[in-house]
Amino acid sequence: MSKKYIYLLLLPGVLFLTIFMLVPIFMTMGTTFFREDGFTVEGYLQFFKDPYFMGILFTTLRVSVITTIISIFLGFPVAYFVSKMGPRKKAFLLLLTIFPLLTSPVVRSFSWMIIIGKNGVLNNILTGIGLIEEPLSILYTPTAIIIGLVHLFLPLIIITLVGVMENIEPDLLTAAESLGASKLGVFAKVVVPLCVPGLVIGSILVFVGSFTAYTTPALLGGKQRVISTFLYQNAITLNDWQVASIVAVIMIVVTVLVISLMNVLAKKLNPRG
Amino acid sequence: MSLFTLENIAVSYNKQHVLKDFNLEIEKGKLVSLLGPSGCGKTTTLRLIAGFLQSDEGKFLFQEKDYTKVPVNKRNFGFVFQNYALFPHLTIFDNVAFGLKLRKVGKAEIEKRVMNVLDIVNLQGFEKRYPKELSGGQKQRVAIARALVIEPDLLLFDEPLSNLDANLRESMRVEIRRIQQELGITTVYVSHDQEECFSISDQVAIMNKGVIEQLSDPATIYKYPSTKFVADFIGFKNFIDFDTVAEREGQIELKKGDYTFVIQKDGEMKNISGKTGAIRPDNLQIRAKSAADPLPPNGLFGQVNVTTFLGRSYQYVVETAIGNFVVNQEMAQPLSMGQEVILEFPKDEMVLVD
Repeated sequence: MSKKYIYLLLLPGVLFLTIFMLVPIFMTMGTTFFREDGFTVEGYLQFFKDPYFMGILFTTLRVSVITTIISIFLGFPVAYFVSKMGPRKKAFLLLLTIFPLLTSPVVRSFSWMIIIGKNGVLNNILTGIGLIEEPLSILYTPTAIIIGLVHLFLPLIIITLVGVMENIEPDLLTAAESLGASKLGVFAKVVVPLCVPGLVIGSILVFVGSFTAYTTPALLGGKQRVISTFLYQNAITLNDWQVASIVAVIMIVVTVLVISLMNVLAKKLNPRG
Repeated sequence: MSLFTLENIAVSYNKQHVLKDFNLEIEKGKLVSLLGPSGCGKTTTLRLIAGFLQSDEGKFLFQEKDYTKVPVNKRNFGFVFQNYALFPHLTIFDNVAFGLKLRKVGKAEIEKRVMNVLDIVNLQGFEKRYPKELSGGQKQRVAIARALVIEPDLLLFDEPLSNLDANLRESMRVEIRRIQQELGITTVYVSHDQEECFSISDQVAIMNKGVIEQLSDPATIYKYPSTKFVADFIGFKNFIDFDTVAEREGQIELKKGDYTFVIQKDGEMKNISGKTGAIRPDNLQIRAKSAADPLPPNGLFGQVNVTTFLGRSYQYVVETAIGNFVVNQEMAQPLSMGQEVILEFPKDEMVLVD
């Protein structure tokens, strides 16, 4: 078979993605720029002037960024610990790690409602031991969404980090120590920089996942809208597909921007990553 | 003056002793090799000196201070790894500067010292490159530079050349010796390659099963191995367990069955307590026997069992009344299988070992 024909093998995948992804995306984008009277960016302008929408956009961004940061800080030590285990223990711990991913987001969110609700387990315990007088209102706030999302996405960052940490030669750590680095210095100057590729991939997964998540914010957020629940509301409840499309395009653009930003950051932190 | 001492060190993995009652004393400015087969404890010894692992028992004295519990990062020893262990995310400059930055050396001073040490290892102009852009030999030079630049009190090498090809190994070992002598830095060098150790060391410690069998300068070990293990390890392939050993008029008389051998008592050969004679295949003399030949002194009758062509010489396995012997000899026409031969043991080539 000539080399030219090898590219034919790409055809099914390319065709599938073109027909079912690229074309719909461009069609969606197209509809946001055209009205009866021709090309216009009026729809977008209205959006960015609307404090209600901007509030939702920034809440969603804030929730996603905080979720990503918390996941990194919780996931890093766990990944470090797991990566040092023997192969059998490692396989077992990784299985435990991805276990939350195997349960439905609906079930998980309901569990959190039971825990953090006004009369939930957490509040009962805290008032029971006299730590607080009034029950905390966590449920139906951005905090509740963050808790749910961290629970959902922590496994992703742990798995990607274990992947890169496994590939760090143990001799690099001893070498750093022999050159005078303390355990903390080894971690900061060798382990963390070498984890940058994993951190970037993990962060992108968590960020994009949080930014576009629907079920968890819909159930735990209550009246607090995020961008995906806002989109759903416009499309299904209000039947305003024009607005829904604009929201969808904004989501895509934000996602692409954040990913590019992360890559720039990664290049700075680890030029050879 | 001794720089450091290991006293009665014991180390074990999974309740298996790797080192037990281990003692070693090294003088300042010397290059000492630990040589032995894999599993003999040489790398364990080196890692113990570096502080990468702790001993169960015993003491490590460095410049008369107790270093047993001093952590790795406070020891100021340079360590060169078998697989280089360069930091892949740092340039060559930053790799070398790593230890200096941790020591809070000033920027200009770092620049000066890094450039200077890169000069010593012949890697000028490589500062801005990354480790993966370098060849194996260059990487190992960077690793050496990185260990040298902190002006270590002790330099430790863990089989630094075993990942390099043969030609490079030879030039690198000359380089290592040159640097070590130029800077007069005390060095402990671990290898399983005999030639490598012998060629660069002031002293060689031959290790076996967690014990130093012999510690001496290379020439002495080469000529006068003190134990059967050492003799075997450095190429004495023939051993005779003698029934009696007696000293007589400056010579030593050895008996095995009906055969008597006399060897020279060399001034340097202190060990006559051993009862095992050892001789290299190259030093045994072999010739064809004709029917009338009497048994010469220090001689043995035998029969050629196996003949192998080694290139420069032929190797024979000769069967005799007191066991098989391996002999290497250059000759135009090889002896054939089953040929009756006479083996002769030169007076000054056989040594006695424990």
